[in-house]
Amino acid sequence: MSSTATTRPNGLALFILPSALLFTLFFFLPIGLMALMSVLTGNPVVMPKVAFTTRHYARMIGDPFYLEVIWTTIRIGLVTTLVALVIGYPLAHWMARIRSRTGHALLLMAVLAPMLTGIVVRTFAWMTLLSDKGVVNQTLISLGLISQPLKLMYTETGIVVGLVHIYVPFMVLTLTGVIGRIDERLEQAAENLGASPLRAFIEVTLPLSLPGILAGSLLVFALAISAYVTPILLGGFQIMTLPILIYQQISANFNVGFAAALGIVLLMISLLLVIAYNRALGLVSGQRELQ
Amino acid sequence: MMKALGPLSRRRFLTASASLGIGTIAAPYVARADDPTLRITGWGGKWGDIMKAEIGPAFESEFKCKLQIDSAFPYLPKLQASSRSAPIYDVMHTNSNEQWAAAEMGLVEPKIDPKLVPNLADVYPYAISDKIVGVSIFTSAIGLGMRTDKGYNGVTSWKELWDAKYNGVRGGYVIPVNSLGQAFLMMCGTLFGKGQTDLDAAYMALEKLKPIKIVDFTGAMEKMLLSGEVGMCVIHDSGIYRYDGQNQPTDFVSPSEGVLSLEQVLTITPGSKMKELANAYVNYMLRPEVQKRLAETVWYSPANKKVKLDAKYDAKLLTTPEKVSKLIQVDWKWYNERKDEIDQRVNRIFRA
Amino acid sequence: MQTTASSSLPVAQQAASMPVPGPTRPYGRYLYLAVNIAILIFLLAPIAIVVVFALNPTPFIQFPPVGVSLRWFEKFFASRDFMHALWFSLEVAVLTTVSATMLGASAALALARGNLPGTRLIVATMLSPLMLPAILTGLALFQTYVLLDVGRPTWGLVAGHTLVTLPYVVRTTLAVLHNFDTRLEEAAQNLGASPLRTFFEVTLPLIKPGVLAGAIFAFIVSFDQFPVSLFLVSPGNETLPVTLFNYLKFDLDGTIGAASVVSIVLAFVVVIGLDRTVGLRSYVKL
Repeated sequence: MSSTATTRPNGLALFILPSALLFTLFFFLPIGLMALMSVLTGNPVVMPKVAFTTRHYARMIGDPFYLEVIWTTIRIGLVTTLVALVIGYPLAHWMARIRSRTGHALLLMAVLAPMLTGIVVRTFAWMTLLSDKGVVNQTLISLGLISQPLKLMYTETGIVVGLVHIYVPFMVLTLTGVIGRIDERLEQAAENLGASPLRAFIEVTLPLSLPGILAGSLLVFALAISAYVTPILLGGFQIMTLPILIYQQISANFNVGFAAALGIVLLMISLLLVIAYNRALGLVSGQRELQ
Repeated sequence: MMKALGPLSRRRFLTASASLGIGTIAAPYVARADDPTLRITGWGGKWGDIMKAEIGPAFESEFKCKLQIDSAFPYLPKLQASSRSAPIYDVMHTNSNEQWAAAEMGLVEPKIDPKLVPNLADVYPYAISDKIVGVSIFTSAIGLGMRTDKGYNGVTSWKELWDAKYNGVRGGYVIPVNSLGQAFLMMCGTLFGKGQTDLDAAYMALEKLKPIKIVDFTGAMEKMLLSGEVGMCVIHDSGIYRYDGQNQPTDFVSPSEGVLSLEQVLTITPGSKMKELANAYVNYMLRPEVQKRLAETVWYSPANKKVKLDAKYDAKLLTTPEKVSKLIQVDWKWYNERKDEIDQRVNRIFRA
Repeated sequence: MQTTASSSLPVAQQAASMPVPGPTRPYGRYLYLAVNIAILIFLLAPIAIVVVFALNPTPFIQFPPVGVSLRWFEKFFASRDFMHALWFSLEVAVLTTVSATMLGASAALALARGNLPGTRLIVATMLSPLMLPAILTGLALFQTYVLLDVGRPTWGLVAGHTLVTLPYVVRTTLAVLHNFDTRLEEAAQNLGASPLRTFFEVTLPLIKPGVLAGAIFAFIVSFDQFPVSLFLVSPGNETLPVTLFNYLKFDLDGTIGAASVVSIVLAFVVVIGLDRTVGLRSYVKL
């Protein structure tokens, strides 16, 4: 994205080396092992005799169930990202524009709090809120708004609610930085020229915050498609996603090869999406630089 | 009893470790010669508390060793990933279905030698039956759990669970990942078909069980029953009895067709360098006083026939041959061979 | 870029709603606040439940709560396991924060200024640890440690945590780097400063806010990390989330709520501390 991309790498390029080493030892090697196990009949590290096999991938392709699961995973990821963006944006905007230092600190804490509750405890809290006898249903029934409890848990809706809650902070904090850098005077100038605040927002703030929107969405999407504690507890295994299947294969079926194959497929799909997304991000920031 | 085994002298460990000197290179966790360490797995919760506070230290001082208890679930995938000649555990404690899977993969020894573990002579037959690898040191009874404040009276049969009045408050488990769910599936075959292995009858029965609230572990079911989210569910007796004395409106029902057995099984790994100590540990866990202490802490029924529990526990747990005879054991070998196929089916049945 | 935005402005007069906080349009302002407060309620409602869970004396989540008691806090603080896990988690989180911040910030610098080929691919790769279900990453790391015959050392756990926190630091730092004026660096160099001096005296102070934001992410994500730790913790050295998970498999009482409240308070202390010392505010408004 640098405008001098055509020149040779300079001394600063060396700063990538520590991370490259970390990735080689603790990511490429382990994931390589997993990729290897996904095409072998057993674990090459501890077993003397293993043979090459394509059965794990054949199993995935041969049964529409797995394709449905992949689609469900991506669908939940997309919906979660969209909802996180819609509710994260106003909050990020407020955080970026609030003038009081205390107010900002309080908002920051409120945004960070969901990340600090602990994944398991937080999900139990959602179960308390969303279950048939949960706070939400009890409140709605006592207000006379509904007579039968709404089915909020063990549905995709429940999973999305839980995921949005955990990942909104990532969206907000990514967006806040970007919105904060947009000069407030631009919005005011637009309004002074007669634009409504909504219009000023749509035509000034929103386009300028696009890089933040893309970066935040990418982060939330990556996290949402790989999440498994929340989809398990709030979906009760009645909604199958790829990470749940992987968890099940590792911890209950002890079929690491198949779990690895599922993981590799998930990673490939996500990487493709991310590269496409990054290209879009590059395009947007490129345009901004041109203008 | 332990005398027969001979003292586990320091020198023996020294020689044992020395002979394995080469193996050490490939082995991630070989105990130091001067400090024999027995690596085991064990539950958390009250079980873990009492193991750490009393039972573990007593074993350590008696056998001059260190116990290293891994209570971070899941155990089997870790054992599976570790080297066969230098396994991560010496003794594995987990439920029977996982022990069978481990035995099939050659990760644990299928049987415990009664000559090395004299207390095996005192256990109920179920604990070392052909449905068990290793030895079951405790069992729980899987039956029905119900609320007592909802007017559900006269529940005696498993089939009661299918009654339409429990629609919306019926509880079950995620079969692919939960032992209770898997055992219950086999029970369905017995109840509505030709027997445990009648899967088609079981699938049909499960289909009719909907709507049902399913959870992946029993702690969540206990919570749902306590909060009233669930009124009637499949559960193990200890999951109900452990709230004894708290005046909770819940009770355990032992169905007339029999209760399913949820065994706590110990096995020894073939590659263990601490075989003698491992056998000593298994024997120790079967001692009447150890069994009594643990049984009265977590409400598990002891496998040793000689254990005399206090009246309160004796009344509810399976402590006589007659009570034990109501236990139905699941053929986990048969089940595990078909696990993928069963998972596929039930995943579809319970898909929202 | 700023000129484009203002020059393409349309002219339409409507006293409509959202979202600029201006005192001149009270209705829009109210709607803006109402929407945000609703979002805050959504974010905080589960935490309120956790607090209720921690204070309610019954051994399960109950609504409405029947009373207030500190018994679960007492149980939490009296438990050696929980206390040990809490300190161990803090230790791991601090080590992770330090390593992820140093590695991530330098990687971001290399990516933004190093003229590396295939930057986009590298950035995507650096995000990939987040896309793989962490239980698989954990198992893969465990398998690798078995292969390398290193056991389950604390540094292995820290390395795993660094891997899944590094992407945040890279992202936040890159965001800042992309947005500041390279002419400052060029000017410094034109004035005769060595690249090293330019880095320490110009670049570093400028990227500090982004690095700091990344550090906060790294700390929190490591402190709350569960699936990666699952396979990498060793007996006696378990992190708080793992201990809590094992605990609630057997005792689903308010202790896990109390642990959660303590974690939140602790993390807030860290965040407020950072705010007081280095000024978090600065990273929001650059």
